[in-house]
Amino acid sequence: MKYCLVVDLDRCSGCDSCVAACKHENTLNLGVYRNHVSAVGPMGTFPDIEMYWLPMQCQQCENPGCIEVCPTGASYRDEGTGVVLVNQDDCIGCESCLTGCPYGVRYMNPATNTIEKCTLCFHRKNDETWEPACVHNCCAGARIFGDLDDPDSAVSKAVAAAGENVHALQDPASLSPTTVYILSEKIATWQDDPEEVKRYEKK
Amino acid sequence: MPKSNLTRRKFVKMSALAGAATAVGASMAGSLAACAPSVSGNEMAETGGNTAEPTNSKEGLVAMKTTCHGCMNTCPAIAYLKDDVVVKLEGNPEAPTSRGSMCIKGLNQLHTMYSPRRILHPLRRAGERGENKWEVISWDEAVTEAATHIKEAIEKYGNYSFFASVGGGGAYSFMESMTLPMAFGSPTIFEPGCAQCYLPRWVIAKLFYGGHDQSICDNCVQEIFRPDNEETQVVVVWGAQPSVSQTAESGRGMAELRAKGVKTVVVDPNFSPDAAKADVWLPLRPGTDTKLILSWYRYIFENELYDAEFTKYWTNLPFLIDMDSSSERYKLPVLAKDIFPDFKQSTPANTPAYVCYDLKTNAVTPFEFSAPEDATVDPEIFWEGEYNGKTYKTAGQLYREEADPWTLERAAEECWLQADKIEEAILTYANNWGGIGHGVATDQGQQASEAPIGLMGLDSIMGRINKPGVTLTQKGESTVPTSRPVTYNNGFSGMFSPMYGIGAVVGLSDEENEAWARGEETAAGQADVSQQKLANKILNDRLGMKEHKGLYGWCHSHIPTVRNAIATGEPYKPRVWFDYSGNKLAMLGNAKSWYEVFPEIDYIIGQYPMLTSFHIEACDLVFPLREWLEEPMAAFNQQDTTWLQNELVHIGETVSHSIPAAQIVNKCRELWGGHIPNGLEPGLISDATEAEVKQSVAESMGAPDWETLQADVDKYNPKIAPNYWQYYQHETIVDDGLPAGFATESRKIETYLQIAVKMARTGYPYCYPEPQEACEDYHPIVHAIEPAESPVEGMDGYDAEYPFVLTSGRVPYFHHGTMRHAPFSRELFPTAEIRINPASAAELGIEHMDWVKVTSRRGEVHARAYLTEGVHPKTVWMERFWNPECYDASQANPTGGWRECNVNVLTKNDAPFNEIFGSYTNRGFTVKIEKSTKPDNIWVEPEEFEPFMPTQEMYAEAKTKDVF
Repeated sequence: MKYCLVVDLDRCSGCDSCVAACKHENTLNLGVYRNHVSAVGPMGTFPDIEMYWLPMQCQQCENPGCIEVCPTGASYRDEGTGVVLVNQDDCIGCESCLTGCPYGVRYMNPATNTIEKCTLCFHRKNDETWEPACVHNCCAGARIFGDLDDPDSAVSKAVAAAGENVHALQDPASLSPTTVYILSEKIATWQDDPEEVKRYEKK
Repeated sequence: MPKSNLTRRKFVKMSALAGAATAVGASMAGSLAACAPSVSGNEMAETGGNTAEPTNSKEGLVAMKTTCHGCMNTCPAIAYLKDDVVVKLEGNPEAPTSRGSMCIKGLNQLHTMYSPRRILHPLRRAGERGENKWEVISWDEAVTEAATHIKEAIEKYGNYSFFASVGGGGAYSFMESMTLPMAFGSPTIFEPGCAQCYLPRWVIAKLFYGGHDQSICDNCVQEIFRPDNEETQVVVVWGAQPSVSQTAESGRGMAELRAKGVKTVVVDPNFSPDAAKADVWLPLRPGTDTKLILSWYRYIFENELYDAEFTKYWTNLPFLIDMDSSSERYKLPVLAKDIFPDFKQSTPANTPAYVCYDLKTNAVTPFEFSAPEDATVDPEIFWEGEYNGKTYKTAGQLYREEADPWTLERAAEECWLQADKIEEAILTYANNWGGIGHGVATDQGQQASEAPIGLMGLDSIMGRINKPGVTLTQKGESTVPTSRPVTYNNGFSGMFSPMYGIGAVVGLSDEENEAWARGEETAAGQADVSQQKLANKILNDRLGMKEHKGLYGWCHSHIPTVRNAIATGEPYKPRVWFDYSGNKLAMLGNAKSWYEVFPEIDYIIGQYPMLTSFHIEACDLVFPLREWLEEPMAAFNQQDTTWLQNELVHIGETVSHSIPAAQIVNKCRELWGGHIPNGLEPGLISDATEAEVKQSVAESMGAPDWETLQADVDKYNPKIAPNYWQYYQHETIVDDGLPAGFATESRKIETYLQIAVKMARTGYPYCYPEPQEACEDYHPIVHAIEPAESPVEGMDGYDAEYPFVLTSGRVPYFHHGTMRHAPFSRELFPTAEIRINPASAAELGIEHMDWVKVTSRRGEVHARAYLTEGVHPKTVWMERFWNPECYDASQANPTGGWRECNVNVLTKNDAPFNEIFGSYTNRGFTVKIEKSTKPDNIWVEPEEFEPFMPTQEMYAEAKTKDVF
């Protein structure tokens, strides 16, 4: 199975509710995250501009670079679901995995000295419906969750309906990220190498 | 892919080491992870997936439905409790518009509920104002102290020495605040929103056609969000950003509409998310909406894109207007009886016959109200000519003349737009079925009344009223007419008109209104006139009413006039203040001008769940309020559903918002021996105890009482309004044999807002039977307004010292002044930002995220520069801000936190005001920008917000009983 997120960027309005939903659900301290949302653009010159928002979290790669470089085996991919997880008992906070992930979606938690990452709310796996908190609360209905190997899942259907508007992050190291982004030209042109505008940059 | 050469088996030893490291981390004091109540499932998240299969993450939690109250949209939500602590919030998927969405403002109530900033007991000021020193006192002591101060002031200085205010976020007290001064016989109540937020659109809609307005972010526009809506093809979002202001409700609604293929046009100086996704974005120069609106009229008239049939028979545009400035009916539509002495009206006296130019007979002819198919005339919309030696023009002709100078090219030049884009926007609107959603932006300036007159007028000439798929609809079974529709006009539902016999009923004839004012039985019922004289005097004496009579719509005073009265004592001096909500110093325009008059005010009472700048700088007494997870309420409707905001927890001695003032009024009555001298009875309309609050909520939900409601919540929650979606009400034949029409004087849509002319002259329909003094006539149609502080060289009000025009708007993290103490909001949006075009920033040597100083003619504040092509090079955009960290106990030199980053230090609260509503200028004034440094006391690093995190002590607060 290939559980993952499909994020419809035609809908996403960059409201950061997914970040707050994740932080509350997973009891993360200030300054610690498992996801973030970047503004891409505006591109162009006023008033001929376009932009979109790019929610970023673990891309749930099929060949995760983070596992490869983990010296303790704490990082692993759950065989049953395809979700990349960290066994926090085994994580020593060495941050090696940060070098194996090209997407910057693993975060050090200084309070626990372990790595935080999106688990797709794996702890909700056996709930009545397995649905990550960010998906449930998304204010634009932009986040879709499910098994890409199941053609009847919501994610598979969304991907099929999106046709050529389906995108994935660049994959120079052949990690095969499973996360899918949908963006149509009508909203903005997909940027293979986006310049993310961060609100807050430490200087 | 090569496997790691470390097998899991080999790392058994390593995991022991990792365990040790975790233990050290978890013992760090003060971190949420260490002290948050344990949520089943979260423990699983902490340990990843290494253990056995996870159990149900909600095991051991109690789920309760409620609604969010992070903003006015009150989205349905589900709360999860463990040991009487709310540990999880999520959106309720059953909600028809929000569909399970919950935004960051709502989610972060998990922290603000248990914030160390909460106040849990009544506080009396123990130091000087501004010192932030308090002593805890008992409720009895607090209520008696407040009542005594009010009573003494009234006895010494008169009833008008009392005043009230409301607003600023989290305020639910609309009815209570409006009626509190009535109980004390005082006219003075204000809200920083009101004339600057929603009143103009709300009141104009009521006067314009007696129905609901176009506001897309105030729960008003519902029709387009209907899940089975297949009719809407276009929505024009004018001066609103639903995805930011009301993210989970109308934001979600807009996302669904766009996904369905509905086209959108967005008029906003800022490249908001809704603008970014729009088919056409018009980034107009702030404050120039009237010019752009006139260009739409000109284009639509010239190209005959309007619905001629609807305009002819359902609007008043074909009416001949009296152009004789010496006439009593100057600027008003000519009545048939006035120029045709032999004319016998066939319609009832409450339905006057006007005059048109009839294309069938090519003559000036009486125009009686009827269904279009029964009309004897074919009225010309645009006509001017003479009749009996006098010159007349139709209202349509006046509109066309007003619009005539506003070619696409001229509008483009003055509004900083492109002519072809304006044309594309108009055609997208005109060639597709739908309507206009109108936001707060235009309320915040001189154009506050003109923009809604113009934008509702556009939907009216397009025939987009009371029809499926449009924005201007009248919803609910009660809007189905059985007789000639009328409006009552004093108060939200006009309830003070029958209560006190004040205010004319629009839709009654003059004679019937005179009978109404005498307390006689009429077609509109019977008013209680026993306190009419006093109630009418309060209307006459309200501050600022002579000039800005539209404020009567919500019974509010004109804020700058109140401030001046406090400063000068003219015409009377407000001295004792009860404020219902929020941080007035962050919300009031030109905040410094208010801070300066605080010493003139003898006694100031506040109430809120926490201490804000206002409480610290001004208040002598503060009552602790419940947060929304604690407060029972029937939420605002979402489509045809009303949801229960339930009482889930309750800590400390906090009370529902209505209670402190009601307790004070009761105490005053007791001290006076039953009746407050010169006060209206009942005056205050408010619940005084939690039991009364709960009973009111139960009744609103359709339950007989609170216990019954709670015993079977799902039976009553949500309450579904039957037959909510209604259309074509105006065509319904009613008891006089005529189509119902609209609840206006003419029984038609008053696209030419004729009642505004009468209002200026007498206060009609509000200040009645005793009129208000006349002021200059209000404009019944849009006319072009240039902002008083213009950024355009050569325009009046241009000053090279202040080259940028500043406008503002919301960000998704905060509603009004709320949530500045919510750590998960602040770490993502730590402090004030000003959006600046990169080209302009480069000229000023400013880089992304540099601190800058922003200076207006009134003051200076600081913000960080957010460089973006999303604003015009001469436009800058700021969210309002205030900083509760400035008076954190950890600060060496604490301040009130309202001067550093607060856009309302810059805003303009002096004339010119909007003529009808007295709105001052929160948006569209000019500033200069310089590179600067971070002010002291401001936090920006995520970790700095640690003192705002919930504490173990707050989680451990016992669940307490109702205080009253």
